[in-house]
Amino acid sequence: MGRRKKIVQECERLMDNPEHIRNIAIAAHVDHGKTTLSDNLLAGAGMISEDTAGEQLAMDTKEDEQERGITIDAANVSMTHEYDDTNHLINLIDTPGHVDFGGDVTRAMRAVDGALVVVDAVEGAMPQTETVLRQALREGVKPTLFINKVDRLISELQEGPQEMQERLLAVISDVNELIRGMAENMDDIPEDWTVSVEDGTVGFGSALYKWGVSMPSMQRTGMDFGDIIDLERADKREELHERTPLSDVVLDMVCEHFPNPVDAQPRRVPRIWRGDPDSELAESMQLVDEDGEVVFMVTDISMDPHAGEIATGRVFSGTLEKGQELYVSGTAGKNRLQSVGLFMGSEREEVERVPAGNIASVTGLRDAIAGSTVSSVEMTPFESIEHISEPVITKSVEAKNMDDLPKLIETLQQVAKEDPTIQIEINEDTGEHLISGQGELHLEVITQRIRDNQGIPVITGEPIVVYREQPQEESREVEGQSPNRHNKFYITVEPMDQEIVDAIQLGEVSMDMPELERREALQEAGMDKDTSQNVEDIHRTNILIDDTKGIQHLNETMELVLEGLQEALDDGPLAAEPVQGALFRLHDAKLHEDTIHRGPAQVIPAVRDAVHRALIDGEVRLLEPIQDVRIDVPSEHMGAASGEIQGRRGRVDDMYQEGDLMVVEGIAPVEEMIGFSSDIRSATEGRASWNTENAGFRVLADNLQREKIMEIRERKGMKLELPQSIDYI
Amino acid sequence: MLTFIGLGLHDERSITVEGRDALRAADRAFAEFYTSRLVGADLADLEDYHETTIEVRDRAGVEQDPEPILAAAESGDAAFLTAGDTMVSTTHTDLRLRAEDRGIDTRVIHGVTAQSAASSLTGLQNYRFGKAATLPFPYAHGGDGVPDSVIETIEANRERGLHTIVYLDIKVGTGPRGPDPDHEEYMTADRAAALLADDWADVLGVVVARAGSPDAVVAADRLSALADRSFGDPLHLLVIPGDLHHVEADALAGLADAPADLLS
Ligand SMILES: Nc1nc2c(ncn2[C@@H]2O[C@H](COP(=O)(O)OP(=O)(O)O)[C@@H](O)[C@H]2O)c(=O)[nH]1
Ligand SMILES: [Mg+2]
Repeated sequence: MGRRKKIVQECERLMDNPEHIRNIAIAAHVDHGKTTLSDNLLAGAGMISEDTAGEQLAMDTKEDEQERGITIDAANVSMTHEYDDTNHLINLIDTPGHVDFGGDVTRAMRAVDGALVVVDAVEGAMPQTETVLRQALREGVKPTLFINKVDRLISELQEGPQEMQERLLAVISDVNELIRGMAENMDDIPEDWTVSVEDGTVGFGSALYKWGVSMPSMQRTGMDFGDIIDLERADKREELHERTPLSDVVLDMVCEHFPNPVDAQPRRVPRIWRGDPDSELAESMQLVDEDGEVVFMVTDISMDPHAGEIATGRVFSGTLEKGQELYVSGTAGKNRLQSVGLFMGSEREEVERVPAGNIASVTGLRDAIAGSTVSSVEMTPFESIEHISEPVITKSVEAKNMDDLPKLIETLQQVAKEDPTIQIEINEDTGEHLISGQGELHLEVITQRIRDNQGIPVITGEPIVVYREQPQEESREVEGQSPNRHNKFYITVEPMDQEIVDAIQLGEVSMDMPELERREALQEAGMDKDTSQNVEDIHRTNILIDDTKGIQHLNETMELVLEGLQEALDDGPLAAEPVQGALFRLHDAKLHEDTIHRGPAQVIPAVRDAVHRALIDGEVRLLEPIQDVRIDVPSEHMGAASGEIQGRRGRVDDMYQEGDLMVVEGIAPVEEMIGFSSDIRSATEGRASWNTENAGFRVLADNLQREKIMEIRERKGMKLELPQSIDYI
Repeated sequence: MLTFIGLGLHDERSITVEGRDALRAADRAFAEFYTSRLVGADLADLEDYHETTIEVRDRAGVEQDPEPILAAAESGDAAFLTAGDTMVSTTHTDLRLRAEDRGIDTRVIHGVTAQSAASSLTGLQNYRFGKAATLPFPYAHGGDGVPDSVIETIEANRERGLHTIVYLDIKVGTGPRGPDPDHEEYMTADRAAALLADDWADVLGVVVARAGSPDAVVAADRLSALADRSFGDPLHLLVIPGDLHHVEADALAGLADAPADLLS
């Protein structure tokens, strides 16, 4: 029997033993060494050959990933590890570090109970370290820390034990500060989740040279930092690896400190599922009952040339088996499981069954998307997985050859299924489809995949930035009239408090949750009690409050009112861009006696009209997306680097020294950041490393408003004059 | 001058003589057929019969852009035509007020409307009707099944022993997915009975089909039974009787074949 086959069998045996399972993710800032570390762990577990680990990058399975050397999708792999005389099954997910792919990270966190956060010893905690930590904690996932690239401190920076210790402790304290800040408001976390060397929740080492240490490993092997420095300095890395192998240190830490599903699910289920906590289903999920009803949360959809569409996710309850007919949240009818399996590196192994507590990958769920809840009984779906940022950039995609048209549409739909942070808009009439995502790179990678993997030659347009519209002050009460003039609606709008907007964006407030809970969450975010009781709709980050009392027929008309509202909010009055952060109040309505005269053709335009009038009276303005920018650059290029920010309508907020580099921090509009990567490269002779993060939307400067609005209207083929009432722009 | 003329119930000849004279004398004639229509005549029949041209306006052309009609009425004699009566069940009071606002003289020439057919064909006395309601297609009112207000109207009438006329939805030029010039759909009485039978399976209902035409049909039965029958071409309406006066009961038995057990 082959080695691999044996491991598969061992995995299958261990699957039934939730106490011995650990579901973990490795997450880090880009280039801090996640993929190298993951490969090492696989090699340590005998999944790939020792020699090629680190070069082979088994976790980077898609061609474009190996080319770019970055991880784009979260990849999944299962392995076994003996700890404390017991074999453990470790299901591991490698997550992307580039911020453009943040949606993948959040989804991966839903599937796991522990996150191994990797930080580069030289660079220290970076912006995305913070982001991934936040994503982990929000999902109730416990962190541990691995400080990587310690070899560079010794060999490159020639640091002595004292300097090294100071530096490592500084990294730990930075990470702990982040954890403390985020965990403050999480009362469901029973213990202190900060990490420490003494507890063994921190490891150090070199993923590249495959050695590692931790407090427990030092006690076991007798190797301390002094020995390590000596060996590393003497270039005896092989010996270092043999005497204190990285994978043992890390996997021991995983087994010791990460919760198993039985410990984790009772705490995590209430955090991510809002169904009835006293139901049988809740109990079966909390007990990780493999005989319970099937509950499977899909966190990833990928395409396999042979097996077709593969759905990967966490089994929270029951046991997945081939042939099961399962419900998929948000769709009617059932899907039949064609096969059930586990991921082993880039390959998937089919198995008979996968019980609760494991990460499984199955085929046959054709209606599932990343984020679907799949179950054997109809149930409340899991909380939607939170996305930190909405799409900010759009590109048009057109097939070069007419023959490819249907295939392109299919591929685009597939792309959106695999990555919910992508939005697509199919336009069959013009053939010019729109694809929106997190950033320039995100879209570039996606369109390249369509070209290379699907072999569809496409023409892509220039990237276009997505804008927003928001009122700037409270409006007077305005009237919207139906075409037949028998129905009237009276509405005001006011800008919404940022705290409430944030709560909506984080999914802490939504129309899907029970009303009482929603009220409480809104009050917590600062909404007054009366208002919170009259919430009629939440659309995007806007809220409609029904302040009317006892108006006859309003109830059965409300559905149409919401339709009109939503139409008006999807296409704002300035440039038909989405409206955000607006709170509307319906004060009064006059309705015709008969349903026929207050049907969709009457009510929708009346409400749409009222909403737009209110927005205009509230001085609605155009908002543009902005990014936080951080550039690390040698000091001689600092001027050029900050010039690149300032020249882009940006603002430099801070410049400081870190190690031998200067750090420039600031913000700039996403629109101006298009093409940044090549400009900064040439401005700094390729010496800068940089990082951007979407930072929401900001009101566009007054002197640019009209010009930008007209530019968008022209692009969309809208009328080139604004309503008379927009006299403030 | 703007003259509102009801075309009556069925075809080009259902208009009153006064209406016919006014139509023929008008400089320009406009019509709308989105609130109701004549089943027995199309536009060409009307134009031939009255030896005139008629400009048909859609909903937007009346409600949003009435300017051409008003301008014609300002400079000459304009006629505005609808099936039935122009002011009953339709909403043209608004157009009349707009004309008055501009100092245009207006006049209404009545037509026979479904409301009068509902009592004259069924024998149900017009003194004993309560509020009327229209039953819309489910897709047209943004909910499922029967709107609460329709249920409430019927219920309130029944509590007071009153009859309810239920007009049935007409969708011309707008379909489930919005404006669609080819769309033409009429709610039939059997479909309406089926919708209402959810709440009132054993309640008596009276179907009036093609009122005003030579083959008008009147049929009374349980709503659940009416739901299984078919009443032919449009237009249909449905009456839900309240308490019955003895003459009304006799009429339903004699004119509409109502089962005896429902009339006691
Ligand atoms: N010197 C050194 N380089 C490392 C170490 N770990 C990773 N690297 C290098 O850092 C770069 C990024 O590593 P990768 O695993 O792709 O990072 P990821 O983006 O977090 O997945 C690669 O060039 C690795 O060879 C380490 O421990 N020491
Ligand atoms: Mg990687």
